[in-house]
Amino acid sequence: MTIKNNPKRLGVCLTISFGIWLVSCTLAGKETGPSGLFSVPEGFPEPVYNLAVNPVTEDGFQLGKKLFFDGRLSRDGTISCGECHNQAHSFTHHGHGFSHGIDGKEGFRNAQPIVNVAWQNSFFWDGGVFNLDLFAIAPIENPVEMDEKFPNVIEKLKKSEDYPKLFKKAFGTEEVTSERFLKALSQYMLSLVSANSRYDQYLAGKARLTETEMKGLALFKEKGCNTCHSGILFTDHSFRSNGLAAEYTGDLGRFRITENESDKNKFKVPTLRNIEVTYPYMHDGRFRNLEGVLEHYADGVQEVDNLDPALKKNPKPGIALTKEQQGQIIAFLKTLTDTEFLNNKRFSKF
Amino acid sequence: MNSFKIALLGLLWMTLLFSCDSAAETISPGDKNNMIIEFDQYVGNEKLVLNSKTYKNTAGEDFTISTLNFFVSNIALKKSDGTEVTFPDQYFLVRQADAASLKLTLKDVPAADYTSVRYTIGVDSLKSVSDLSQRKGVLDPASYGNDNMYWSWNSGYIFFKIEGSSPLSSDPAKVFMYHVGGYGGYTGKTPNNLRTITADFGGNTATVRKDISPTVHIITDAGQVFSAGLRISTTSMIHSPAAAKPVADGYVNMFKVDHVHNDKHDHKE
Repeated sequence: MTIKNNPKRLGVCLTISFGIWLVSCTLAGKETGPSGLFSVPEGFPEPVYNLAVNPVTEDGFQLGKKLFFDGRLSRDGTISCGECHNQAHSFTHHGHGFSHGIDGKEGFRNAQPIVNVAWQNSFFWDGGVFNLDLFAIAPIENPVEMDEKFPNVIEKLKKSEDYPKLFKKAFGTEEVTSERFLKALSQYMLSLVSANSRYDQYLAGKARLTETEMKGLALFKEKGCNTCHSGILFTDHSFRSNGLAAEYTGDLGRFRITENESDKNKFKVPTLRNIEVTYPYMHDGRFRNLEGVLEHYADGVQEVDNLDPALKKNPKPGIALTKEQQGQIIAFLKTLTDTEFLNNKRFSKF
Repeated sequence: MNSFKIALLGLLWMTLLFSCDSAAETISPGDKNNMIIEFDQYVGNEKLVLNSKTYKNTAGEDFTISTLNFFVSNIALKKSDGTEVTFPDQYFLVRQADAASLKLTLKDVPAADYTSVRYTIGVDSLKSVSDLSQRKGVLDPASYGNDNMYWSWNSGYIFFKIEGSSPLSSDPAKVFMYHVGGYGGYTGKTPNNLRTITADFGGNTATVRKDISPTVHIITDAGQVFSAGLRISTTSMIHSPAAAKPVADGYVNMFKVDHVHNDKHDHKE
């Protein structure tokens, strides 16, 4: 019997299918929720980023990802965000002390990882940008990074074949605006959540740490590393001086933004998640490996202006650590490597 | 006969005066119109001409001006009875290179007699930290072409920008650039260079009526940028809030109301 022959049945069928449509829409609505595809991992605090104003959607994420890997954001089309923020290295510029930009020019700081940025309340080593949505303008306009005028990027995208369609998919119309551009990039970057390291699995009771790693974890707490690298994010997001002499660059860090004497030599405390692969270390990339970092805390801390009180507890500035203890802490730090995150094809260019 | 004519003219004039006056007295509830605030830009007593004209500051330093831009926001008009009408969420970017931008149109100003205007040079802290959806028009960081008014490395607007050249500049290209920003900071306290200007109409009133749309002419004297002690010979580049304080302390002196036109003009927008 066909529906055509029975008008009553047609009505029932329509009612049922309408019902299904209604339910499926409601479910889809719930899935995308106020924060969309973004979800807070177990044990993580509420994000700082206001996802209500920019929920992560699949199309927004895909647009953001395309923009992230697109050289058109730079003056001569050669440098994309992905150039200095490489996934395999937790989105840092591996191996480069100072990150390299356009025409082979060198910046004055080491590119920071893009990981768990939804929980970050400021960006850059000096915290000069306070909102993820405002972040991308800086590398685009920096003469040694992408050296392009931000308005020009928007113009190029407007005139392109591909982007207006993608903006329509993500935001409803083909209009390319700075707000949509920046918020799409934010959607991609917000999605770069790393919360499945071996340490996370250990916390969830799904993995064990070796004896050395456990000793390292204990020392990490006992020696107060977690004073600054605190909580599940392994940073308290503060600006502190860890006793690095400004001999390399004369970089005064947070002072550049606040112009306050008490902020001289202070830099943002970086997260330690995936720290194993984000070498070299410190704002100027002066240490090529974690051994160098631990040697600094044990033996190299300088009494610079505004040295953090946490590093002044002993007669000798720094943290008292034997060579063996340094090795144990490094072993623990390596448990913060999230191989799933570093290899997640969803985040990759291709 | 002559004296009669004069008397007649006088009478006519009186009639006109009274009729104008009585029109000015009549305000019905809900009456409103536009008010134009127009910046007439000078350096000292000479009209500001970009690039070609050489001026002298109070220290006798020769200079030319290639760019003069500033944001005007949080405008408030004071009525003769002392109460104020505010215009929140309206931001204007005045650019000498763009003649149209020198006239700010305040829409739907309630009919009243106004005696002074107050405004902020710059973009207030609330707007400076707002979501991108709140930054349209002149607040869109992508709206400035090659004449940037936004600091990307230290998130915030450039409130005021004056650039030019001077033989006394220590810069190899003999240019000077003073960029003023700094709203007080968000994640940390930073210098605050927001400045509020009050320009009194000097006994004049701007009479907004249903059929009168006044224009307030504010004379600006860009030479006042140097009135707080700034010298090109010692400072040729300013690109941070702390260094910009003397510029802001100088330009607070640069705005004076010269005259007010109370032109008949229907607001039909």
